[in-house]
Amino acid sequence: MAPPLLSVEGLQVQFHTRDGIVRAVDGVDYSVGRGETLGIVGESGSGKTVSSLALLRLVPPPARIAAGRVMFEGEDLLAKPERELGAIRGRRIAMVFQNPATSLNPIYSIGSQLGEILRWHEKLDRAAAEARILSLLDLVGITDPATRLRQYPHELSGGMKQRIGIARALLCNPALLLADEPTTALDVTIQAQILDLLADLRQRLGMAMVLVTHDMGVVARMADRITVMYAGRVCETASAATLFSAPRHPYTRALLESMPRIDHRYTGPRQLLPTIAGRPPGLLNPPAGCRFAARCPEAMAECRTTLPVETVVAPGHSVSCIRHGSQGIAA
Amino acid sequence: MGMLNYIARRLLFSLALLLGVSVILFALINAIGNPIEILLAERPGVTEEIIQSVSQYYGLDGSVTDRYFTWLGNLLRLDFGTSIIYNQPVGDMLWTFGLETLKIQIPGILLALALAVGASVLAATRQYSRIDFGVISGAMLGHSLPGFFFGIILILIFSYWLGWLPSYGAYSTRNLLWDSELADGLWHMVLPVGMLAFFNTATLTLLLRSSLVDVLRQDYITAARASGLPERRVVMGHALRNAVIPVLTYLGILFGLMLGTAPVTETVFTWPGLGALYIMAIQQLDYPLIMGETMIITVMLVGATLLTDIAYVAIDPRIRLG
Ligand SMILES: Nc1ncnc2c1ncn2[C@@H]1O[C@H](COP(=O)(O)OP(=O)(O)OP(=O)(O)O)[C@@H](O)[C@H]1O
Ligand code: SF4
Ligand SMILES: [Mg+2]
Repeated sequence: MAPPLLSVEGLQVQFHTRDGIVRAVDGVDYSVGRGETLGIVGESGSGKTVSSLALLRLVPPPARIAAGRVMFEGEDLLAKPERELGAIRGRRIAMVFQNPATSLNPIYSIGSQLGEILRWHEKLDRAAAEARILSLLDLVGITDPATRLRQYPHELSGGMKQRIGIARALLCNPALLLADEPTTALDVTIQAQILDLLADLRQRLGMAMVLVTHDMGVVARMADRITVMYAGRVCETASAATLFSAPRHPYTRALLESMPRIDHRYTGPRQLLPTIAGRPPGLLNPPAGCRFAARCPEAMAECRTTLPVETVVAPGHSVSCIRHGSQGIAA
Repeated sequence: MGMLNYIARRLLFSLALLLGVSVILFALINAIGNPIEILLAERPGVTEEIIQSVSQYYGLDGSVTDRYFTWLGNLLRLDFGTSIIYNQPVGDMLWTFGLETLKIQIPGILLALALAVGASVLAATRQYSRIDFGVISGAMLGHSLPGFFFGIILILIFSYWLGWLPSYGAYSTRNLLWDSELADGLWHMVLPVGMLAFFNTATLTLLLRSSLVDVLRQDYITAARASGLPERRVVMGHALRNAVIPVLTYLGILFGLMLGTAPVTETVFTWPGLGALYIMAIQQLDYPLIMGETMIITVMLVGATLLTDIAYVAIDPRIRLG
């Protein structure tokens, strides 16, 4: 079997704060094959953004990548010198950000900020760069691209800015696109358009994608495989079909149950969707055993003292829950 | 709304402002009373007739409005009148002394700007490090000490103890350094420029560093890094330009008030500039000189404000020309 395009192994990111070490990402593993879309799901604060930024060593100052490997096209990105990593950022791996309003530089025109990146990586001359940008803007569905080139971010709508953010990521034909909640900040109708655009681009350009979201509906629609994260760790990874039909981890199941379902008739005067009681644990001093133990309906006494280790329970399906076939480390 | 249109409107506003200042200045100076009476008071043998003829000589016998318009008309022709004390055209004096002031003020501010950019970049890109802490502490100290303090320290070290640099004047009265006027002038500039740079760097660094720290946290900076642009370009091209925007106002004031703050520096270093001249003019009640210099200070401030407004528009496309 060919090695995957990207494989993340034992990734740990820690924030060194005055109060102590915040273990925002604490041993995360996943992989993405060529042309594949991996959905990463988890609630707010589960470490989705920090772990994606860590792939390109872009975690913000008090954070430090404490351990792990990020193997991409046969090389460990975490061990590469900064200069060489610069040739991967934006060229082989590109990012789309959550908030289109803040992820474009307000004082440069669209043409100049996209052109700068293209000329830096590809050493194109001005005219060639402009031609490529125009064709990309057209590809991401921007009308009248020649006018947009001369406009500034504040002159464009949110949806348009996100399309430009996507075009920026595609400038150098990356093998992998990291999209961190690319639709969360947009209106519902625009969200659907952007997701369609991403699905379409992925097919046309054959690139792999890591799609980070807290929305099960989004991954259901977009992902080939899904990784569920909770409090800085991975709960479960499986193909989209398996995860929705045969979830194993109690957290995954709770997440799925809290989704409204189109094939379910909500009867009775007031039937509410089930929710997951409680809040995620603080990551400053995370509990010793399973991170989900305090909220888990199936928790046993052992769960509080044993840290579950991600274990393959079926081909392409791995789980970290000691009740559902995982090994554990006594804490 | 075009840029030229905007500049034209700002220019018009500035002129109106200057006109307003000229009226106030004229009213205030007249409120003091007839300068001839004050100057000649307590002198033996001064009769009413003498006062009257001298007043007439200086054109002080007309009505207030007549005098104002005469004065304004002369101003517009760059005729500032004749200094009472020095008996020279005020315009010539302002020019000569003004050049001496600009000679130390402009290099002082530019040097401060360069130092502040360097220090802020060094500190902000290493937030919470020892370097950052050192820069903040140094800037805080410099910001809270009065400007002349540095001047005195510099004189103490480089003139008094080491004897390397002159502590007063703009030129040597006898032997020029290396027999060269240029070398001698530069030699005299070192300490005053040093004091101005020192003093201005501190506040500028505080402002610029905190602005830069804020900008470096923005998504578009992470996005620029994620696009593979080298760190130097991300910081100097993307971050610094955004960080300068909130500091522009302060820079404008610094340039605008350069003549207004000159008296301090020029007193410490006995520098023959507008600041020193202003103090003498006030002490000796040299009316034409006081008024001419006050107008020049105002023009500088209004001009700097105008330039600041234009700089904002040039740097930040979000500003609507309204
Ligand atoms: N500056 C910081 N200092 C300390 N801890 C931080 C800091 N920034 C983030 N964290 C920690 O990192 C954890 C993960 O944050 P991250 O932004 O990756 O979450 P996320 O899964 O992307 O959430 P969201 O859905 O809200 O975007 C947070 O729970 C928080 O504990
Ligand atoms: S390990 Fe225990 S607490 Fe954790 S998810 Fe499984 S059953 Fe629940
Ligand atoms: Mg996030």
